[in-house]
Amino acid sequence: MLTFCLRRILMAALLVLAVASGALVLTRLAPGDGIEEGHLLDPVARAAERARLGLDRPLAEQYVAWLAGAVRLDFGESVLYSRPVTHMVGERAVNTAILAVAALALATLLGIPLGVYTGTHASGIGAALARGASTLLLSIPPLVGALVLVLVAARTGWFPAGGMTSVGGSATWAAWVADVLSHLPVPALSLSLPLAATLERLQSQALAEAAREPFVDASRARGVPPRQVLARHAWPASLGPVLAVYGLMIGSLFSGSFVVEVITAWPGLGRLMFDALRARDLYLVAGTAAAGAACLAAGTLAADVVHARLDPRVRERHRP
Amino acid sequence: MTRRAAVLLVVLAALALAGPWVAPYDAGRAFRGFVHAPPMFPRLSEGLGVYPLVLVDRVEQRFVEDRTRTLGLPWRGESEPVFLLGADRDGRDVFSRMLSGARLSIGLGLVSVLGATLLGSLLGAWAASRGGWMDEAVMRSADFLLLLPIIYVVLVLRAMLPLVLAPSTVFALMAVIFTAVGWPFVARGVHAVVAREREQEYVLAARSLGAGPGRILWRHLLPACAGHVAVQASLLLPAFILAEATLSYVGLGFPDPLPSWGRMLADAGNVNNLARFPWTLAPAGAIFAVTFATNAALQARVDHRIRCPEQEVTTS
Amino acid sequence: MNRQPRTLLTLLLIGAIVGTGYFIWRDLRAPLPGAPHSSRTTDVAPSRGGRLVSTLRSEPRSFNRLASANAVTELYSLLAQAKLVRINRATQELEPWLAEKWETSADGRAFTLTLRDGLTWSDGTPFSAEDVAFTFRAAYDPKAGIVLGPTLQVDGHPLAATVIDGRTVRVEFPASFGPGLRLLDNLPILPRHKLEGALAAGTFAQAWNAATPPSDLVGMGPFQLARYEPGQRLVFTRNPHYWRSAPDGTRLPYLDELVLEIVPDQNAELLRLQSGDADVMQSTVRAEDLASIRPLESQGKLQLLELGVSADPDVFFFNLRAPYWAKDPRRGWVTTRQWRQAISHAVDREALAESVYLGTAVPVWGPVSPGNREWFSPNVPRYPYSLETAAKLLASIGLENRDADEWLEDMSGTEARFTMLTYRGNLVLEREAAFLRDELNKVGIAVDVVALEANALVDRLVRGDFEAIFFQYLTSDLDPALSKDFWLSSGPAHIWNMSQDTPGTPWEAKIDELTRQQAAALDPAERRRLFAEMQRVFGENVPALYFVAPRLYAAASARVVNLTPAILRPQLLWAADTIAVKP
Repeated sequence: MLTFCLRRILMAALLVLAVASGALVLTRLAPGDGIEEGHLLDPVARAAERARLGLDRPLAEQYVAWLAGAVRLDFGESVLYSRPVTHMVGERAVNTAILAVAALALATLLGIPLGVYTGTHASGIGAALARGASTLLLSIPPLVGALVLVLVAARTGWFPAGGMTSVGGSATWAAWVADVLSHLPVPALSLSLPLAATLERLQSQALAEAAREPFVDASRARGVPPRQVLARHAWPASLGPVLAVYGLMIGSLFSGSFVVEVITAWPGLGRLMFDALRARDLYLVAGTAAAGAACLAAGTLAADVVHARLDPRVRERHRP
Repeated sequence: MTRRAAVLLVVLAALALAGPWVAPYDAGRAFRGFVHAPPMFPRLSEGLGVYPLVLVDRVEQRFVEDRTRTLGLPWRGESEPVFLLGADRDGRDVFSRMLSGARLSIGLGLVSVLGATLLGSLLGAWAASRGGWMDEAVMRSADFLLLLPIIYVVLVLRAMLPLVLAPSTVFALMAVIFTAVGWPFVARGVHAVVAREREQEYVLAARSLGAGPGRILWRHLLPACAGHVAVQASLLLPAFILAEATLSYVGLGFPDPLPSWGRMLADAGNVNNLARFPWTLAPAGAIFAVTFATNAALQARVDHRIRCPEQEVTTS
Repeated sequence: MNRQPRTLLTLLLIGAIVGTGYFIWRDLRAPLPGAPHSSRTTDVAPSRGGRLVSTLRSEPRSFNRLASANAVTELYSLLAQAKLVRINRATQELEPWLAEKWETSADGRAFTLTLRDGLTWSDGTPFSAEDVAFTFRAAYDPKAGIVLGPTLQVDGHPLAATVIDGRTVRVEFPASFGPGLRLLDNLPILPRHKLEGALAAGTFAQAWNAATPPSDLVGMGPFQLARYEPGQRLVFTRNPHYWRSAPDGTRLPYLDELVLEIVPDQNAELLRLQSGDADVMQSTVRAEDLASIRPLESQGKLQLLELGVSADPDVFFFNLRAPYWAKDPRRGWVTTRQWRQAISHAVDREALAESVYLGTAVPVWGPVSPGNREWFSPNVPRYPYSLETAAKLLASIGLENRDADEWLEDMSGTEARFTMLTYRGNLVLEREAAFLRDELNKVGIAVDVVALEANALVDRLVRGDFEAIFFQYLTSDLDPALSKDFWLSSGPAHIWNMSQDTPGTPWEAKIDELTRQQAAALDPAERRRLFAEMQRVFGENVPALYFVAPRLYAAASARVVNLTPAILRPQLLWAADTIAVKP
């Protein structure tokens, strides 16, 4: 198990490096030079700005310099903001993590129980409604979903319509936490509703299938109460495919969602990544891509480890 | 259930194929005085006629019905436009655009889903049944594709392509991109299912009876994943239809007058318009119907396949 | 089994859900619950104190105006820094600012400015003429003022600033220059005691970046930056040393605190205003959003201000670089004047204003819109909507429909077709582009509209790799002598054929000559006459086409008083020191 984990972590680190390199090179190849204002057309000023952004240096040289820093976990300095990339990514990653935890909890608490319910009730109004609701949620673009939630928040005044903290600032830690919590519902719901729908669909199908497994039938035949059959046998057996996708979900949540962060003005990683790309701020692009990839890799890794722990057959096979 | 789903699916497919001919108006035609005109409901009392609209306030885009006259249904070629599902922000008929866009959106969605599920289940199942370094290689390249922010790739790709792209080229490119982005999702799930199934008794039995790995994969392991793949397909279908709008944001989209459901929804993304002109969200309903029908049909097929062996056992 | 009741129950449940959904929807459509009707804002005398919340669409990148042309940096500079003289955005006139008065030399090339007495920086350090000299040094330093420097030159030569005494500065222009001191509205005066080290060390361009502690940012504007929370907000507090007072003697600014909330999405920004979370929007109100502001205005919760006609109409132009078309079969007609005139005739500007701007735009016939009060000339050639005239002009360059399809062809059978680039993501532009395409289709010209990411578009523009572009180009200044980069054929913003060595056409040579005369002339009437002539020559040759200029609207909460709206950005916050809020 330890070697399995170690090998996977090493693999994940390599992947993250590869993704960050890919992002850097691709951004460098993308057209334009990120000079924001359209009226900055003066060739002299543009050349100076390109030099400042480092866009005039050969790609290979630039990449090697970045790589040399990156292996020491020094991701360079954002040219745009003149700040170390690690600091910028760090402060945004915390914000995104707060949102991700909330969204993940919501999605899990909504999606999994609903999935168990629909998976065990093949027919019935409740299950049909839940299925319909899931499909509907999947058919609405995230942009529109987020906008509707922000609109509801603004019109009803139940929650703040956007941002992470209030204008006035907070005097104490407790007040800050309460403030952030009050800002959470809108972005967390916008993120988690489609995910809850995905989880519901996956869990429902996996459970329906697991319920037909011979060993589940067997325990039912032995007279084990249906609830226990469900909790002890069918549900754990159904978790494999759910976890496989769950890992991806964790990862994508922690690497930040651009759409939701923009609409709800949440100061997270997704927005930073998009700003960096638009401005062609190479090191910041690579840094945010690395952070996003690291989160995804950690998510899939965690899911695989949990899966391996739950299912000894998977674990065995990963022994060298 | 199966029947109804199949009928719905057939109707939708027929509509999608015949869309441009059934649509009362050309999808790109903008009726200039009718920006955000509301849906006009056919009245039974008027022999399925509708009341024409009169613009009351241009800035507020407010219309009233002129109850003194009636117009026939839009196919009758009336002198004034008849919007069954309202008009969009350019005064184009939402109903016609939805019908004309169906072929592209459904087509792209289905082709991409087919590609992603096929590639994903084959690679995932094969990797899981092989194990070893091949397994590692396939699954880690899936991870790489998942980790890579795809928008960067598209941005560079777009710059290398000619400025004006034919819709068929865009379609093919998008299908390839969606397949590439989608298969890792399927592969991960299938991998998990196969890893569980390959040690099951029936597989071991087959193996001891001398079945080759290919045969086991094809006859036993892949069918076991069918349910999961069906769900994945129904999750990916709406996602792909919607993602078309995201790609068009970085410049790889169908050229403008050509309607697609994703773009129609993205264009409706103005917060005040959502509440005032909810009919611009009609494509979401269409995506819902398609997803729902596909899901039901797929689910029914899968259930059928799983139940059949059981029935054989009980009858023998 | 019990099939019937179940179906019934399902129907009931669905009905209940649909019903609830309908009520929520109806509730959302209804205007916000009415607040007690308040008196009109203009009646209330401004008083000191309070906090104003405004919005910001993007993150600040730098607080160094000399090194960054970013809109946020510019706003920061307006709030926290001061200039020697300023252009009043509302009247578009020059006003004394840090300099209380000035004398002009006989030849009009030198100005002796007297600075106000007793000025201090926001950290309490006394201000002196040395700070002015330092700012000029920094602006012209090749490593420091990379962005602002070029705009502060006259015919490629810098201005000379010399200190006469602690309160007197002499500014000398290298050549006769019509706008005179208006040029200095761009230049915020910077504190020598804070930045001298960076200039000497050659790190000035990186100084005062987004990571600089706010306490180091010292200025003479009405506010000082107190806090920057990345991704969330900028908090400004009153500058206790600000020099200006209201006519009644109240020390300005009125506000204690000014908060700029970072709200990247325009929809969300509007919602903040509607829900009362923000008092002032940074963006102007889009035509399609007016309908949602109006009910709130009649309830007395918001004020909707009509600012006037925008000074920056969207522009459409063809690539006029001859080498670009050298091998193209369309070269015979695509760069001709008749082609562009025909296109101008083929576009129904009234219909464009009505369908894209919901009627809140006016037709324009050149780069200078009626919003530019001082310089607008009504006597430019106009190309009224007429498909016949357009067809005649097209026929005169050999374009006629010669086959069965709907498009025109030239003698050799080449179709009248071109690719129009526009920004992706700017919905108004995209819709306008679609409108133009539909209009041109009517006269048989085929247009492929391609929307590109802004970076990619500017890249193609600068490289000259495009057929035609439709986009928003912000002129650098209302005064033509300050936007010479656009008018001169050698200018970098001469968008249809940039940075030419010698004028490519006789009319460009003519405009060049007029531009130089106009910039050098000192008599306002003479300058107006020359500029009207420039606009006429431009209008005859239409190197760039203009269709409509939108009317601009701004919205603010009803608790904000004493606003001085302007059509120039930032429309409301440019006069932040005199804005007040009701207690």
